[in-house]
Amino acid sequence: MTQFNVLLKKEWRENFRNYKVFWIPIVFILFGIIEPVTNYFMPQILDSVGNLPDGAVIEIPPPEPEEILVAVMGQYQLIGILVLVLAYMGSVAGERKNGTATLLYVRPLSYRSYFLSKWILASAVGMLSVWSGLLAAYYYTFLLFERVDFTKFLKFGATYSLWILLIVSLVLLMSAVLPNAGLAAAGSLLLIFVFQLIDGLLGTYWTVSPLKIPGYAAQWLLDGPKPEDFWWTAGIGILLIFAMILAGIRSSKANASKTKV
Amino acid sequence: MNILEVDKLTKRYGSEVAVSNLSFSLEEGTSTALIGPNGAGKTTTLSILAGLLKQTSGTADWKNHSGIGFLPQHPQLFPWLTALEFLEMAARLSGIAAREARSRSIETLQFVGLGSALNKKTGTFSGGMKQRLGLAQAIVHRPKLLLLDEPVSALDPTGRREIMNLLKSLQHDTTILYSTHILNDAEEMTDQVLFLRRGQLVEQGSLEEVKARYAEPNIRIRFQDVRSAAHFVEQHNWNARVEGTSVLLPLGEAGPRMEEVLSVLSKDATAVSGIERQQATLEEIFLKVAGAE
Repeated sequence: MTQFNVLLKKEWRENFRNYKVFWIPIVFILFGIIEPVTNYFMPQILDSVGNLPDGAVIEIPPPEPEEILVAVMGQYQLIGILVLVLAYMGSVAGERKNGTATLLYVRPLSYRSYFLSKWILASAVGMLSVWSGLLAAYYYTFLLFERVDFTKFLKFGATYSLWILLIVSLVLLMSAVLPNAGLAAAGSLLLIFVFQLIDGLLGTYWTVSPLKIPGYAAQWLLDGPKPEDFWWTAGIGILLIFAMILAGIRSSKANASKTKV
Repeated sequence: MNILEVDKLTKRYGSEVAVSNLSFSLEEGTSTALIGPNGAGKTTTLSILAGLLKQTSGTADWKNHSGIGFLPQHPQLFPWLTALEFLEMAARLSGIAAREARSRSIETLQFVGLGSALNKKTGTFSGGMKQRLGLAQAIVHRPKLLLLDEPVSALDPTGRREIMNLLKSLQHDTTILYSTHILNDAEEMTDQVLFLRRGQLVEQGSLEEVKARYAEPNIRIRFQDVRSAAHFVEQHNWNARVEGTSVLLPLGEAGPRMEEVLSVLSKDATAVSGIERQQATLEEIFLKVAGAE
């Protein structure tokens, strides 16, 4: 526990002093605000840049507030995930590659504490970012459109948080397995892309899959997913997170000898 | 009493042998220099002993693993931590309790001359300061065995002298094994030398033993002036060489016997100001060992 506390403090200092605890949530908040604002001002935007003939009238039906929150999630699926992957790709691989890990590995280090401290900080920053971004989106959607049922919003946010935890776990696992930060990022993005592609092509044949988590999160804003499918999916997602943490601990230890001396 | 016993230590990377059948021991409270050309296996050996690398075969038995301190050649520090935060973290990860870790860290930083930089971020440190902090993290938990990989090679002469003085002051309480290219420093602080070449231990022993093994039976005869020295060389066909006012003369198979030389010199002793036996320097031994194939 002592080692875990010491390493957690180290991770906190790193995330705080590298401003990750600030700039990552700010990116999520910005994307959370941009979606409702651009939707609200869409007629004016089209009017000013649309180059439409005089007298042309375009009637855009106002989007449902739930649709705006789903669109925010869509932004996070692309930009948000990219930001998290780039921010944490070097967590383990970077320390090995630049040699800073040498002065840790040379001590009687608990690799469980080492990996878990990184996972907890990265997850905390991920959660802070997603929730502050979604709350900002919720508030602006309420201001500019209508109020979304808060219980539905909480279920939506909680389900999407599970997806973010999966992404964070995958990035850290790749960082522990692969030799450098660039490969860790490429590996993580490739896996996310390939699995989402497979799910997009063949996903109709299975309803229980961690890849369905963002879809189920969106469904909470409407009628809600089928409970059995959702709970099985969430359960498998949680198990997968545990499995990736365990694999990350093992890989950190197994690859410790690759640290630059 | 031996603190470390290394027996037939071997490290292979595929078909390449980095360290081969290395055997040696370190006596408690001594300092040992690991000497060899680049690629000789020094860093690999130290990395195995520090627990960073697993050997392919052989054993390295030491009394207490947590009692090891390791300084890499270029210590990489976390640039966003202050010197004190970094050292406290190192101490605590070595098992020292929080309060003691703080006091020991301050004490150690003062010992290595960083007392005024406690709260400076390590990212702003010069090379010499990084090396000092690297040394501080290696000794903060008061290890019994200190492993240092080229501790002074990246430093300027002043920094080198300061670190060497620090290491010398640690000698009494700690067993030190260090690799080096700076052979003058090795001569200054060595009880035992280990010469590595292509991963193999090719020479081992106390500094005196090794020097004696490589001692060439040369004598240096000092004359009053250059003319006398040149005259001496011209008169005798002994393969001698004039070096200023001195003559360097090989004895034995390559030259005359000592008695013969003394007999000649006694005939005109007024021109001679001194005679001394030449001893091989560590650098000369290094060049011989490194060059031998």
